[in-house]
Amino acid sequence: MKTKTISLGASFRDPSGFLFTRGGVLYRQVNQDYADDYTRLMESGLYEKLVKAGLIIPHTESEAQPADEKRSFKVLCPERVPFISYPYEWSFGQLKDAALATLSIQKRALKLGMSLKDASAYNIQFHRGKPTLIDTLSFETCKEGEPWVAYRQFCQHFLAPLALMAYRDVRLNQLLRVYIDGVPLDLASQLLPGRTRWNLGLSTHIHLHASAQKRYVDVAVTEARGGRKMSKDALLGLIESLRATVRKLEWKPAGTEWADYYAANNYTDFAFEHKKVLVGDWLLRISPKTIWDLGANAGIFSRVAAETGAYVISSDIDPAAVELNYRQVKESNEQNLLPLVLDLTNPSPSIGWQNRERDSFLQRGPVDAVLALALVHHLAISNNVPLERVAEFFAVCGEWLIVEFVPKSDSQVQKLLRNRVDIFSEYTRTGFESAFGQWYTIQSSSAVRDSERWLYLMKRK
Amino acid sequence: MIWLYLDPGSGSFLVQLLIASIAGLVIFVAASWRKIKRLFNKNKVQNDESDDEDEDD
Repeated sequence: MKTKTISLGASFRDPSGFLFTRGGVLYRQVNQDYADDYTRLMESGLYEKLVKAGLIIPHTESEAQPADEKRSFKVLCPERVPFISYPYEWSFGQLKDAALATLSIQKRALKLGMSLKDASAYNIQFHRGKPTLIDTLSFETCKEGEPWVAYRQFCQHFLAPLALMAYRDVRLNQLLRVYIDGVPLDLASQLLPGRTRWNLGLSTHIHLHASAQKRYVDVAVTEARGGRKMSKDALLGLIESLRATVRKLEWKPAGTEWADYYAANNYTDFAFEHKKVLVGDWLLRISPKTIWDLGANAGIFSRVAAETGAYVISSDIDPAAVELNYRQVKESNEQNLLPLVLDLTNPSPSIGWQNRERDSFLQRGPVDAVLALALVHHLAISNNVPLERVAEFFAVCGEWLIVEFVPKSDSQVQKLLRNRVDIFSEYTRTGFESAFGQWYTIQSSSAVRDSERWLYLMKRK
Repeated sequence: MIWLYLDPGSGSFLVQLLIASIAGLVIFVAASWRKIKRLFNKNKVQNDESDDEDEDD
């Protein structure tokens, strides 16, 4: 029997090789063209060093048949990342750590006579909680005197969005959703406040860089450089300069301290504790392997879920909540929890070439279980989505659902209705159960102690 | 010309050369300075290379 071989939509730019799946297993073909560089990566000790530092995805060499036999040098079987996420879904801290990981990899590579030939943010994934390079074929042998070919890409994919987030508005990482090869530097230069010109790193790597691009747009590289060479010290100096610039960029929610933010989102009451117990018990009962906690805030329930051993995506629309969530992942070295910024009313679309390079959020599912706690009223009332369509959306996401119903009498819902005509006559517990009943069977339900809220465990029909 | 799969951009090349030559010089001077200092303080513990995350293990 022949199993179907499928080439991956995002894997076509680099002639060094490509990814494919066969029988549910992920492989990476290394092409003949790349044989020397691959051998050098493995034999110079660079690969081993990067694996040890958790900076590159480990792989084994496989006997599997190549997808393109004629060009093949080797077939690799990389360790699989449980969930592929994209830079426009990362918080500030995640993008910053991904940038620093890229620079750290480049520095180690330079020391062993290799260099990154691309510095794409899409080559970094969060694996076991840490930013990790997933493209094993990103290295090339250093060519004496040559500059870093991926410098421009690094500035576009990392430095420009980080600077915009830190100096202008944290939501500007959404530009990465429009510009798949990173934020154009002339745009970044225009959007950044004038005071960034006094920051040596930003004034050179962004502002000067943008004007040089404009000035030399019609000049060939060989002509522009006029035979000038770059020493190894200069290459390392460039990395240091980028690293210092990235490190100095900071972001926190305007007008607040992290501690205030945490306090405002950290419930301690009875109801909250009861909710934790219910969620924990139900998850143990259904023992899902993968969970999406939608509207997770700073991830308190995601952690209840992660403790069951499942891999949890912990998403929220609020970049500050996600930032806080990520800081906790780092602090506690949590390996099976990934915080992401996601607007559920407009989740990440599929983008890029033929709309196939980066998958939409839903394409990256379904999962075993969905948590939707204190979420439905936001979707149903703030975004006017009928309850049965909220249910349909959850049903597409996963088989099991743990969902909370917050009635109109609750102060949180009252807040949403404050300036609205109440057009939500169906928004009652009975209406909720019948709407969700179209997609799910209710397996368990319980009133949340000390509150008017209800929690449900449901299974998709 | 060496074959490259990304277009590095002429402007990007020049800016890089400029920054890198200055930063490279700083690295060179700092390294030399450390060597000189080491000559005079042989017994002192060296802790100014704080970027240990990238140091070889």
